[in-house]
Amino acid sequence: MEAKELLFLFIAIVTIASAGLVAFSNKLIHSAFALMATFVGFAALYVFLSADFLAVTQIVVYVGGILILILFGVMMTHRIYDTTLKTIHNPLAMGIISAAALAVILGLVIYRSPWAATVDKPFVPTTSIIGAEILTNYLLPFELVSVLLLGVLIGAVFLARTEEHKK
Amino acid sequence: MSNLNSLQYFIPELFLTVSILVIIIVDLFLKKEKKVVSAYLTALALLVAMALSFQQYNFSPASLFEGMVVLDSFAIFFKILAAFSTLIIVFISLPTFRDKAEYYVLLLVVTLGMFIMVQVNDLLMILLSMEMVGVISYVLAGYNKKNLKSNEASLKYLLFGAASTGVMAFGFSYIYGMTGHTNLYLIQQALLNNNPHPLAFFIAVVLILAGLGYKIAMVPFHFWVPDVYEGSPTPITAFFSVGPKAVGVALFIRFLTTIVAHPASTGLYDFTQNIPIKLPELLAVLAVLTMTLGNLSALQQKNIKRLLGYSAIAHVGYMLMALVVFNGNAIVAVMFYAIVYLFMNFGAFWIVETITPKLKSERIADYTGLGYRAPFTAVALAVFLFSLTGIPPTAGFIGKVYLFSAVIKEQWYLLAVLGVLNSVVSLYYYAYVIKVMFLNQPENNDLIEVPLYNKVLTWVLLIPTLVMGLYWNPVITFTENSLGLFFGK
Repeated sequence: MEAKELLFLFIAIVTIASAGLVAFSNKLIHSAFALMATFVGFAALYVFLSADFLAVTQIVVYVGGILILILFGVMMTHRIYDTTLKTIHNPLAMGIISAAALAVILGLVIYRSPWAATVDKPFVPTTSIIGAEILTNYLLPFELVSVLLLGVLIGAVFLARTEEHKK
Repeated sequence: MSNLNSLQYFIPELFLTVSILVIIIVDLFLKKEKKVVSAYLTALALLVAMALSFQQYNFSPASLFEGMVVLDSFAIFFKILAAFSTLIIVFISLPTFRDKAEYYVLLLVVTLGMFIMVQVNDLLMILLSMEMVGVISYVLAGYNKKNLKSNEASLKYLLFGAASTGVMAFGFSYIYGMTGHTNLYLIQQALLNNNPHPLAFFIAVVLILAGLGYKIAMVPFHFWVPDVYEGSPTPITAFFSVGPKAVGVALFIRFLTTIVAHPASTGLYDFTQNIPIKLPELLAVLAVLTMTLGNLSALQQKNIKRLLGYSAIAHVGYMLMALVVFNGNAIVAVMFYAIVYLFMNFGAFWIVETITPKLKSERIADYTGLGYRAPFTAVALAVFLFSLTGIPPTAGFIGKVYLFSAVIKEQWYLLAVLGVLNSVVSLYYYAYVIKVMFLNQPENNDLIEVPLYNKVLTWVLLIPTLVMGLYWNPVITFTENSLGLFFGK
């Protein structure tokens, strides 16, 4: 039990610290690499919640896909590599006050509210359950996503292609 | 209802999906000069989808696909409205985008998204349908790729959209945490039985309002509107200002009637809050802020599309005002206003689309003396603007009467007074455009030739705007008959 809690603390600290780095780092490339630690930290937190499938998907999609895309974008874009400080930092006092207010409100919410919790469930693999749910209860959203992706594909091709036509 | 049985109640949506695929494939075989056929096919598909939806009025209300969506007359009403608004947009777009099949396909995908959006019965479906409308809209906003303003519009729309959707999803996670359900009806039941902490519920509702408010351009989530409206191609601006907004309001009503409140025992369409929070008061403040900010900002606009953008914000304020009291009367008033708003707002944008290529400008100052240079078009624009103000005998007046009477019946007098004051403010900037067109002499007296096609479509939008101002009984009866909400999994 002790080891599990220590591990959880470690993962939580890594996740939050790297998320902070993403937000506060002045170099884009540092932010991009810090984002990797954040994503992996999330995956580890999902494991703690017995969401094994979600954890693997998180790694495959976010770390393996989106993050690599961001890194390529950063590295291959001309001169973005050492661009510094493009984001305008709002006045520090305002930021701290609003962040603190938000933290207090959300903290109150989290502590006061009796969540419909199902903690301490025994660990069961979720992949087959998710598969069955997608093809039964969640069939409609599953199918609709494919139409959405078709539209997105057409839109992306339209935006990315050059206008000059070959004669 | 099970997935297989649900299919027979899902025919308009299936038909739209098939037409999307068919148009993509047909376009591949069309020669360059025949590309306009895809536009006609799109119009035909929308007409058929409208007819198929209309025929669904015969079905008894039910929940479909294991409780993912519901089919009730309220949903059918907005489905017809959504398909009709896209149909008008296809005709508005024809002169500009004659041979762009992918443009029409994207419009159809958005329409499918709007169809789903008005039928949602699950948090997941809310998110999915809003993204379906949203993501494609970002592409449409940036459709003029070489125009910097269009690019800016697209990017701003995307960034604001992503942020507000994220906040909304966070709010959903609280709702899910409190109730353990994603189905709207089950959430309603769980809220009634478990009584979660009001503060937590209030915060969750406020977070969700960020996403819904962004979709309908409610203050303080309206920042994107002026830039997106100015930068997007005019047909797309017109599209954003009516279709997605109307279904956004429908989604808002769905959210209010399930997560926020439940049907009361006193009347068929009276609602009591699930958990007493000060939501009506909050909505009242937001409604007043929305219309005031929209109207006051519109006063200073030099660009006609920006002016119409701010006026669109103000009109959302009027609709929100009725949703404050929300009961059967108010919902009917909002539904009726959506119809009226469709004709008058499309009308105004269509005139802008007609005139802009001739004047090569969207500045109001360049409309000087339009009344002498293109009399019919200028008069039509004047009628649409008077209707937007809410001056009799136009449809806008009747729409506003219903909205205000719904508010006054529930004794929100202050709210109604502020709404009327706002209408007075709006008269100033609408009338300013009319003054520029008719009272100022033009420097250049050349007549502007308006093609017959433009005139015909203007009439199509003008006649309902005038007729509904004098004889609106059938429309309001149809709207009242369409008020049927289904609650269930």
